[in-house]
Amino acid sequence: MPDLHFVATVNDRKVSRSAKPHQRLLDFLRDDLNLTGNKEGCGAGECGTCSVFVDGVLMKSCLMPVAKAQGTSIETIEALARTGELSLLQKAFHKAGASQCGYCIPGMVMAATAAIRANPFVGREEIKERLGGNICRCTGYQKIFDAVEMARDVQNGTLPATAFAEADAEQGDFIGKNVRRIDAPSKVSGALKYAGDMTMPGMLHVQVLRSPHAHARIVSIDTSAAEAMPGVEGVITSADVPGEDGFGVFVNDQPVMARGKVRYVGEAVAAVAAEDPLAAVRALEKIKVVYEELPAVFDPDEAMYDGAPVLHDYAPDNITMHVPIRVGDVEKGFAESDLLLEENYATQAVEHAYLEPEAGLAYLDHDGVVTVVSPSQNITHHRRLLARILAMPIAKVRFIMSPVGGGFGGKEDMIYQGMLALLAMKTRRPVRLVFTREESIVSTAKRHPSRTNLRMGLTRDGRIRALEMKMISDGGAYGLSTAGVMRKAAILAAGPYVIPHVKIDTFGVYTNNTPSGAFRSFGALQTEFATESMLDVAAERLGLDPFAIRRINAMRDGATTHTKQKLGSVSLLRALEAAEKASGWEAGAPVSRGDKRGDLGRDGNRPPVSLGARFETAEKQQAAE
Amino acid sequence: MLICDEYLTPASLDEAFAAMEKHRGHYRVVAGATDTLPWARQGRAGDVHIRALIDVAKIPELNEKKTGDRRVRFGAATPIQRFLDDPALGRAMPCMPRCAVWFADDQIRSLATIGGNIINASPAADGTPCLIAHEATVELAARRGGKTARRKMPLESFITGPNKTALEDGELLVAIECDALPGYGGSFEKVGHRRSLVISLVCLAALVKLDSTGRKIEDVRLAIAGIGPLPLRLAEVEKFLRGGPIGMERLERAAAMPVELVASRTRQEYRRDVVRGFMMRGLINAARRAGADAAALAPELEAAYA
Ligand SMILES: Cc1cc2nc3c(=O)[nH]c(=O)nc-3n(C[C@H](O)[C@H](O)[C@H](O)COP(=O)(O)OP(=O)(O)OC[C@H]3O[C@@H](n4cnc5c(N)ncnc54)[C@H](O)[C@@H]3O)c2cc1C
Ligand code: FES
Ligand code: FES
Repeated sequence: MPDLHFVATVNDRKVSRSAKPHQRLLDFLRDDLNLTGNKEGCGAGECGTCSVFVDGVLMKSCLMPVAKAQGTSIETIEALARTGELSLLQKAFHKAGASQCGYCIPGMVMAATAAIRANPFVGREEIKERLGGNICRCTGYQKIFDAVEMARDVQNGTLPATAFAEADAEQGDFIGKNVRRIDAPSKVSGALKYAGDMTMPGMLHVQVLRSPHAHARIVSIDTSAAEAMPGVEGVITSADVPGEDGFGVFVNDQPVMARGKVRYVGEAVAAVAAEDPLAAVRALEKIKVVYEELPAVFDPDEAMYDGAPVLHDYAPDNITMHVPIRVGDVEKGFAESDLLLEENYATQAVEHAYLEPEAGLAYLDHDGVVTVVSPSQNITHHRRLLARILAMPIAKVRFIMSPVGGGFGGKEDMIYQGMLALLAMKTRRPVRLVFTREESIVSTAKRHPSRTNLRMGLTRDGRIRALEMKMISDGGAYGLSTAGVMRKAAILAAGPYVIPHVKIDTFGVYTNNTPSGAFRSFGALQTEFATESMLDVAAERLGLDPFAIRRINAMRDGATTHTKQKLGSVSLLRALEAAEKASGWEAGAPVSRGDKRGDLGRDGNRPPVSLGARFETAEKQQAAE
Repeated sequence: MLICDEYLTPASLDEAFAAMEKHRGHYRVVAGATDTLPWARQGRAGDVHIRALIDVAKIPELNEKKTGDRRVRFGAATPIQRFLDDPALGRAMPCMPRCAVWFADDQIRSLATIGGNIINASPAADGTPCLIAHEATVELAARRGGKTARRKMPLESFITGPNKTALEDGELLVAIECDALPGYGGSFEKVGHRRSLVISLVCLAALVKLDSTGRKIEDVRLAIAGIGPLPLRLAEVEKFLRGGPIGMERLERAAAMPVELVASRTRQEYRRDVVRGFMMRGLINAARRAGADAAALAPELEAAYA
C-alpha cells in the first residue's frame, strides 16, 4: 500500500508527511496531527462535529478523503483561539450559555464562523440555515443562535464588546441567576478532551465482534487465526473473564461478552486489541464463531405466553420486573363514576443519539490498578461491578469519568468498559475503543417501547374516581435499568392527581430486541403519556377545558401520593398557569376547528418549513442598491 | 470503512482513462465522494476494499463552464454550491440556486458534484428534476481502442431506474448541457423529515416565463422526483398551461393533474397531497419571480401556498 506524501498548511503551519491513501481528512487531523478539537459524531456527513475550513470553505472532514486536501490550507477549531484569546464567536458562545455537553460545539463554532464570514449581517433565519448541517442534542439551538447574533452585533459595532465581560451573578449568589459555565472555554475552543480524543504512548486500538443473530447458542469460538496475525496483541471472549461475569443496574444478567449464547443482534461476542484500527478490523474477520440459531421472540406480549422462547434461565416467564400498586378498590371507583373510558396507548423505542459515540481508554498503572476512563454516567456503581467481574479487590479498580458528550441516560450501563479492562490486563498496554455511530445505535440501550391499557372513571364534574393501568414494556435482551424504569413508571403513572382508587401494573419483559434502559424521564413518559392523553379525552367528553380538568384533580400542598409519599409543596398549579399563559391557550373544551383555529399566524407561531433566507437578503440588498 | 490501496487524482481525462485501464475491474470513480463514503459503512456495504479510487473532481474538463444564449454547458464535477455562488449559472438556470439551497447543507454541497448526483441516480436526487426541466443532455466519454469516444444522450433516457443509468463500463460523465432560460422565474420545492441533510420525500422544479403583460404563461417547465422510481418531466401539464393566463382556477386544475402519477412504494396518500400543494406553490413562486403582475396572482393564493 503506497502511502501518499501529503503537503498542506494546517492552522498556519506547514505540514509535510505521509498519509494512508484511505484516510479521511478527519482521521489525518485527529490521529496524525493530534488536532482533536473537531470530532467524529457520525462519520457520514450527518452531524457537523467534524467541520473544518479547507481553503476558506467549510467542509465536513469525515466526507473528505485526505488526498483531496493535498496542497490546501486547512483551519481546524484550534486555529480560532491560537493566540490564547477566544474569538468573538467563542466568547459569545461562552456568554450565551450555548455549550452544554460541548461535543457539537467545535463544529457549531466553525459553522457560525462560516456564516458570519459569508454574511456579516446574517439574520436569524439565515443563521439557522447556514448552521443546518450541524446537530446539537443538548441546547435546543436557541442559545447557539443567540450567541451568533451577539457575535455578529459586536463585530458590527452595534453591541459593545463589554457585553461579553458583563458579570452575570454576584459572587456566592447563584440561585435564579445566570451563571457562566466554567467548562465553556475549554469546549468552545476544542481544548477539552473526550475519551475518544485521548491517547497514551503504546496505546492499542480495540474493535468488537458483534452478533449477527437475535438468539443463538454459541457452539464454538476460534480466535487462533486472529491471535496469530501481526499487529494483534490480544483477543478476548467470555472465557477470559476471571470473576462473576455479570453487570446490570438492578440484576447482573449481562456478561461482558456473550457467554454460551447471544440474545440480540449487535451483542458483543469477542474483542481484539491491535496496533492500529485496521489491523483490529482484519482480525475480527478471522474469528470463527459457530452459532446454532434458537427461536427468538420480539414482542413482549408474546414473550409472556407459556412456551415462548426463554432468554434467561432465572426468569422462565421472561419477566424482568413487575411493579403492582394498589390503592382503594378500583371496581368500587368505576361503579361511582359517571363516565368510563378505556383506551390503549403505545410508545416506541427511542435512541438517545448523544453526539459523542461511546468511547473509553483503559490501562494498568504502575501499581497494577486497572483504570478505565470513559464517559460513564455511573462510575461508582461500575467500579463495584467491575471489581467483581475481574475478581479483584475494589482498591485495584479505578474509574475516571471523562467529559460526557451527551448521555441522557444512555451511558449509565457498563456496556463496554469490561472489555477494555480485560484487554488492558491481557496486553498490559493501554487500549482504546471508539464506537462508530452505527455501533452505538445497534448495541446500546434505547427508551423502553410500551403498550398501555388504561381505564379511567370520572364523575360528571371532572373528578377522577378510579384509574386502572397495565403497561407492558419491551425490556429487550438484558435487564440494565428496566427494574427501576418500571418502578418509576408505576409510581408516576397516575400523575399528580388526587385519585381515590388506583390499580397499576407495569411489566418489563425480556425479548430478543436491543436492550432498553435509562432514558430521560425513566419510565414516566410512557405511563404519563397514557394518563395525560386520557385526561384530554375526558375533557372532550365532559365538555371541560383541559387545563380546568387538571386543576380539578390536582394534588395540592400536603397531598399524599399513591405510593404514600407526603408532599410538602406541590407546584402543579403554578406550572399549569405558566403553561397556559405561554402557550396562548384558548379556553374551552377541546374541539376540532381545522383552519378556523384562532391561533394560526399568531406572533411566535412557526411558519411552515422553508429555506432560502439568503435570497431575501440578496433581494433586499439589490433593492437598496 | 472504505479502504483503498491507491488514491489517484488524474489531472486530465487521458490520465483518468489510463488509470481506469490499468486498474480495470478493480477501481471505483469518485468525484465529491459524498455518496461513496457513507455507502461504505456498517448497515450498507460495510467495509469495502477497493484497489484504486480514481478521483475525477479536479480534471479541468470536468470543471469547465460555458454559458451561451440558448444552451449552457458545465462539467460533471461542478460542485452543487457553484449554482449558488456563480451568478452567470444562476441566471441561465433560475431554479438551480433554489435547488442548491435545499441540497444537503452548506458544507456538503461544496464537495458534492452534479455528476455524482446524476450517476448515483437516487429516485429522490434533488439535482435531476431541475436538469430535466432544462432539457439536459449528458456528454459521456470512454477510451475505446486507444481513442476517446464520446456520445451524448438526453438525461431523461440516461437514468433508467433507481441507482441505474446507461453509463457503460469504462465510461465517464464529462459534462451536462442544458437550455439556458434567463428571464424565467424558477422555484424548487422540497419536503423531507427536516430542513437540511435530508432526502426528499418529494421535490419539484418549476420554471415559468411570462409574456410582457405579466399575466400570461409563455413557457413553463415542470419536473418532479420522489414519487416513483424515476424523475418525471410533466409535459402534459406544461402543455395545458402554456399560452394560458395565470389564474387561480387554471393553476388548481394544473396542480391536480400529476397527483395520479404518485407510484412510490410508501406514503402515497401523503405524497399526493404534497404534489398538489407543491404544484401550486412552485407555479406561484416561479411566476412571482418571473415578474408576474401583482394583481394576477390573488393574494389569498399566495398566502395559502407561497
Ligand atoms: C449528509 C448527506 C446529505 C445529502 N443530501 C442530499 C440532498 O439533499 N439531495 C441530494 O440529491 N443528495 C444528497 N446527498 C447525496 C450526495 O451528496 C449527492 O448525490 C451528490 O451529488 C453525490 O455527488 P458526489 O460527487 O459527492 O458523489 P460520489 O460519491 O463521488 O459519486 C457517486 C457515484 O457517481 C459516480 N461518479 C461520480 N462522478 C462521475 C463521473 N464524472 N463519471 C462517472 N461516474 C461518476 C461514482 O463512481 C459513484 O458511483 C447527501 C449526502 C449526504 C452524505
Ligand atoms: S458530519 Fe462528519 S462526523 Fe458527523
Ligand atoms: S452541547 Fe450540543 S450536543 Fe451537547
